[in-house]
Amino acid sequence: MIMAAHELQFPLDSESYKIIDEIGAGVSATVYKAECVPLNSTIVAIKAIDLDQTKADHFDNIRREAKTMSLLSHPNILNAHCSFTVDRRLWVVMPFMSGGSLQSIISSSFPDGLSEQCIAIVLKETLNALSYLHNQGHLHRDIKASNILMDSNGSVKLADFGVSASIYESGSGYGSGSSTSSSAAGLMLTDVTGTPYWMAPEVIHSHTGYSYKADIWSFGITALELAHGRPPLSHLPPSKSLIMKITKRFRFSDYENNSTTNSKKGRSKKFSKAFKDMVALCLDQDPAKRPSAEKLMKHSFFKNCKNSEFLVKNVLQGLPSVEERFRVSKIVKKAEVNDEDEVESGSDQNIVKHRRISGWNFNEDGFELEPVFPPNEPKDDHDDDDSVVKQVRFGGETIIPGESDVSGDSGGSNLNSPPGDYSPGGVKNEENVQGSVVNPETMVGGLMTLKKSLDDQRQKVSDLITLFGGEVMSREDQLVQLIERLRQELENERQKNFELQMELEFLKIQISGASTTDETD
Amino acid sequence: MKGLFKSKPPTPVELVQQTRELLLFVLNNTETRERKRAEKISELCKLLLDLRTVLYGDGQVEPNSDACAQLTKEFFQHDTFRLLIASLPSLNSGARQNAIHVIANLQRQRVNSKLIASEYLENNLDIMDTLIPGYEDSDIAWTYGPISRECLRHQNVARYVLESKHMKNFFDYLQNPNFDIQSDVQATFKELMTRHKSTVAEFLSENYDWFFEDYNTKLLQSESYITRRHAVKLLGDMLLDRSNSAVMVRYVSSLDNMRIMMNLLRDSKKAIKLDTFHVFKLFVANQNKPPEISSILVSNRSKLLRFFDEFTIDKEDEQFEADKSQIIKEIASLQSTDRSCQDLDNCDVPC
Repeated sequence: MIMAAHELQFPLDSESYKIIDEIGAGVSATVYKAECVPLNSTIVAIKAIDLDQTKADHFDNIRREAKTMSLLSHPNILNAHCSFTVDRRLWVVMPFMSGGSLQSIISSSFPDGLSEQCIAIVLKETLNALSYLHNQGHLHRDIKASNILMDSNGSVKLADFGVSASIYESGSGYGSGSSTSSSAAGLMLTDVTGTPYWMAPEVIHSHTGYSYKADIWSFGITALELAHGRPPLSHLPPSKSLIMKITKRFRFSDYENNSTTNSKKGRSKKFSKAFKDMVALCLDQDPAKRPSAEKLMKHSFFKNCKNSEFLVKNVLQGLPSVEERFRVSKIVKKAEVNDEDEVESGSDQNIVKHRRISGWNFNEDGFELEPVFPPNEPKDDHDDDDSVVKQVRFGGETIIPGESDVSGDSGGSNLNSPPGDYSPGGVKNEENVQGSVVNPETMVGGLMTLKKSLDDQRQKVSDLITLFGGEVMSREDQLVQLIERLRQELENERQKNFELQMELEFLKIQISGASTTDETD
Repeated sequence: MKGLFKSKPPTPVELVQQTRELLLFVLNNTETRERKRAEKISELCKLLLDLRTVLYGDGQVEPNSDACAQLTKEFFQHDTFRLLIASLPSLNSGARQNAIHVIANLQRQRVNSKLIASEYLENNLDIMDTLIPGYEDSDIAWTYGPISRECLRHQNVARYVLESKHMKNFFDYLQNPNFDIQSDVQATFKELMTRHKSTVAEFLSENYDWFFEDYNTKLLQSESYITRRHAVKLLGDMLLDRSNSAVMVRYVSSLDNMRIMMNLLRDSKKAIKLDTFHVFKLFVANQNKPPEISSILVSNRSKLLRFFDEFTIDKEDEQFEADKSQIIKEIASLQSTDRSCQDLDNCDVPC
């Protein structure tokens, strides 16, 4: 019974494996396609992690990942055959999933996302894995398309347990030596981990901790990622400059260009009511209201779900091989200077450095997720922070069109025109930078125009949001209001004080009057 | 389906009793028809899950402390622990995980402010003779390893293991080529050597010779990167612990030990270098350096100074910089009083 899982004994030495090709790379890990020579040259994937770049306190994570991958046993979970060290590298030998990650599939062949039928299959299989994991007391904590892999037969597996955790082992100092009293731990995790775009609000804030439902949130984001070709907000990488941001946005975001014309309505109608409803359930602000994985599987969206053969025909056919896709992505990456996008499927990075988001509003009809940013920290308007502030406004702007569908086009058309207004400025600035001959005047001029157009837009967006009953207020506005209110209060107090003083005087006069009359009496 | 007809759910005590009956069945009826056995095992798995729910709650409801106390008392009163350990090899990996979680929780349960598990283990220390050698069997190692670590939380258990014959075996277990098992052994070894300070200090001073002989040859000078890396880190943790100061003084007074450290400093791997530095600095900072150590430092002074001058780490670390300049100062000011002129072979300094 137990031996069945270990039927094939994979050798624990590097000589038994012949590396064929590189299929993924991250900062401290590389993924190879290889064959295991003694086992009939079975094709495997090997993730090689550079341990010398790993801090000692990270070893526990690696140990846990290796253990998790060996202990979990489910058809929708990618197991490790074995793991061993080769000098300073840890080799994790895994089954080779020839379709690669869903993220790589999408970015190579489905830039606008998969069809709803395909999404349903992928998500259902993922949900199977998630339900099993949660039953075992595990949180995956990094659910996203790049961690969902597909095999040549269309089977889908959840991978990468690098940041997964067991709620039964948290806070109890499991093996790490540090201990806290545990039994009352309440089965909550508190450390902030995951990949920002997919992270649930309660993971970021972590006042009371989070649990399984954080995975459900990420699952919802992944659904959007599969539907749109990328997660919400991913067009806002924490890039250093606004200029890069603009050029980039115009370079590869076809879907936004389309949406500035009038295909937007069609887009939002592309998805069924059931799908939208399912995602909306996952993206509930309140973790307690999100359904469990088990419950979600019974959602109508997953009824009449097609089987894996459908994926073979509709997704895998004609798809370039994983190796080929990796080569292409490497070339693209080289071309994109300072690109801070996600690395390939093999990456085990959990870079948590993106801008904080204070909340999310899921717009079910537009099928988009709208970020709520914390009030901007006003700093020197001319340093780098300025660009960050503007990025944020971009976020509001590009996502709002989805919402304008709800209300008709009155505000929408207004909102859609500004991009055209400021694009020349943006392009000009980019040329300046690239040509390295920066004309400060043109630059400042361009930026001023840009700032103005952004301010205009911001105003419009605010108006629109107020129109729908939402509340937007910039920090400055809030402060101005606060000052006004305080001033009013002060004025009132002064008035009261004055009146009291008057009364006091009056009483004094009365008393002295009375006493004098007493005396005279 | 059975659950539907039950009038009320079993009490924690009943849960433990049912578990014990099933454990006895599984252990004593190895020849029973396979299907019958499989049935009992799956019932057992369900019970373990129920036990876990009592101890941890179900995510919505916090665990009830009375229920936990009853369960713990019943569990240890009748040797259920031993039965469970013995039957773990027959269970599937999911059930084993549940068992680990249940056992981990039970180690921490206090009834009337007493750690029942500790009292139980005090009288059943031989259970460790089953658990620790689990590292020799790749199938059960992942299950017994974490359980061993949980038991080692109790000082009496740690003392028993430290004084047992298993100690010597750890140096072999640590060489397991299977990374999963090796890192589990590593975690247990570290727990053993760092948790109970006074017990460890006592053990080290009584077993100094063989322990550091093995430590130096099998771990610090291992071929394997990961073994060296862990070994040098743990050595630093042990020596820098105040309770081990006597052992530390002894360790840093040995020229052989310093040679090993100097070779490790030469290691091309940054992480090892850095951890070695934190041990090497103790040799230099020692105010009562034996003459042979001083003279090696003096005769290699220029090389050492050049090495430390070029020795940087990627991250800014004030403590590291402070230590480094202290070391440089110390080496530079060493007086070459003793001219006993050691032979310098093997002691070539990194550069």
